[in-house]
Amino acid sequence: MIASLPAPGGAVAAALLINVQMPDGHPVAGAVVTVRPLDGAPRHATPVHAVMDQVNRAFEPDLLVIPVGSTVEFPNSDSVSHQIYSFSPPKRFQLPLYRGKPYPPVHFEQTGVVTLGCNIHDEMLAYLLVTDAPWFGRTDAAGAWSAELPRGRYRVALWHPRLRDSESDLERELTVGDGDRAELTVHLSKPLQPAPLADRPHSWDY
Amino acid sequence: MPCRNLAMLRGARAVRWFARCAALLACSGASAAADWDLSLDARLVSSNAQAPFMEGGLGTLRYGSDDQGLQLGRARFAVTQSLGELWSVHLDASMYDDKDRSPVGVTEAYLLFRPYPRAGWRLRMRAGGFYPPVSLENRAAGWDSPYTLSYSAIDSWLAVEVRTLGVEGTLDWLGTRAGGAFDLGVTAGAFGWNEGVGAVLAGGGFSLTDRQTPLFGRVGQPGVAPLYGTEPFLELDHHVGVYAGLEARYYDRVVLRVLRYDNRADPTRIDAVSAAIAWDTRFTSAGLRLEADHGWTAIVQWMSGETTIEPPGMQMNWPFRADYALISKRFGLRHSLSVRYDRFEVQATGDADGDGSQDGHAWTAAYIFEPDTHWRLALEWLRVVSSSYNRADLGGPPLLTETQLQLAVRYAIGSASR
Repeated sequence: MIASLPAPGGAVAAALLINVQMPDGHPVAGAVVTVRPLDGAPRHATPVHAVMDQVNRAFEPDLLVIPVGSTVEFPNSDSVSHQIYSFSPPKRFQLPLYRGKPYPPVHFEQTGVVTLGCNIHDEMLAYLLVTDAPWFGRTDAAGAWSAELPRGRYRVALWHPRLRDSESDLERELTVGDGDRAELTVHLSKPLQPAPLADRPHSWDY
Repeated sequence: MPCRNLAMLRGARAVRWFARCAALLACSGASAAADWDLSLDARLVSSNAQAPFMEGGLGTLRYGSDDQGLQLGRARFAVTQSLGELWSVHLDASMYDDKDRSPVGVTEAYLLFRPYPRAGWRLRMRAGGFYPPVSLENRAAGWDSPYTLSYSAIDSWLAVEVRTLGVEGTLDWLGTRAGGAFDLGVTAGAFGWNEGVGAVLAGGGFSLTDRQTPLFGRVGQPGVAPLYGTEPFLELDHHVGVYAGLEARYYDRVVLRVLRYDNRADPTRIDAVSAAIAWDTRFTSAGLRLEADHGWTAIVQWMSGETTIEPPGMQMNWPFRADYALISKRFGLRHSLSVRYDRFEVQATGDADGDGSQDGHAWTAAYIFEPDTHWRLALEWLRVVSSSYNRADLGGPPLLTETQLQLAVRYAIGSASR
């Protein structure tokens, strides 16, 4: 997912390319990149309406990045019932036991990481990153993410649900200057925590 | 072939029961509100083992050499009904059709209270009849193992004799929901109807089976030594049994479980009418399950305990221990290969003086193929080498190698199979 705003009147856009790598140089896929301007008036991405489904006792997708003020719908496509809860400070809520699509979308007004679980199935785990950054997205399989943005100074931040580095250690400031593109490679200093296991039958107890 | 005919008769009865349940569910409006499962597991068995414990024998396997051919593995019906937001009722009923006194028995039935987490903490309360949290392999529906057909010696013993008939509370720290890598839980249980626990270990020793005694069910056959149709779920002394356990998890990869169990029975208590004696049984178990990428799973589990009776003027102790290691490799979602090595030992000390001692080890190898959510095919080879005082005492060989080969076909319908 890539969000970008049109460059403000007159400013010329340039490409920003971010690469995220493990300490051993392997690419980090799925890392969330947020980019905030350090100069000029504050800008925000436009709120969206997103959907996080529940399929085979798993959230689908298991990570969404949304601009602050967005709404997210949580349908349950399984034949078994699910409950959803979050006790994360940016949004504490719960959706009582349900199947199908009985509830209106949930509104996320505060920035931060919202961790979601199902009180029936403890193996279900998902994340929402609610951001006020005007540019954000996730790295691809090659660990890369890019955006078009106006020339200026920016702060680039990284987040990943299995991050062991502290987020502040991974923040970088850079200037997108006269060239057509600016590149930044961020190396994690510690490998990520292991990814969720794939191919485990969903009917097993966690 | 009266044996074969009897097996077919039993099988036909299980199929009728299965069909009746399915028809009932199809017609029932309640099935829409509840999560339910119905499954029928048929086995083709080849075994050279002695008669199994349900026939009163001292065989260490579920099927003896008289149980060749087609057998009913298990017919199972389970339902989970939510009661409002935080409460639910779970019922698990099975038919094994192997000389138990009632054709259908309830293996677990409990009320679960599961409030929403608060600031990372969550309480869970269960009341009814259910397994204490020991097993790391029996994680599939109906307390079955997804790795093998037969359970480990430890879990087979739990299946035969151990159940919580009481209440259990668990407090979880949901660390992975608060940005951490670990979840932690502490569990405590209090239960009654436990004075029969230990009688099968002292009388017959460990076995490797997947036969779960229904709540208030019977083990062995009346009048047949050494088990005499013993009843694990007896209340004689009105002492409350307790257990306490810890669980730690690292994401979905590692689970560590430790539990201390003590039924706190009065070993001098003898029922005046039935002459049943109270078995004072306590054990400690610890287990670790590791799951890695590419479908690899490793489980190690250990248990050590003792059961005691004190009839007038005597004190008889049976210290026991068992452990196993299991390695399993899954190929996608459909195929898995698993190998397990079990060791087990029951000693007989004090006035028991060797009577009831047993030790042995077992190798289990299983291939499981699940073409879809309805069908499961399993092939399992299991060999137990054991020495048994009681077997020798009843005229059998003290040292024996028993081998069982099973081909299982299971068909399931219900909420989890849709």
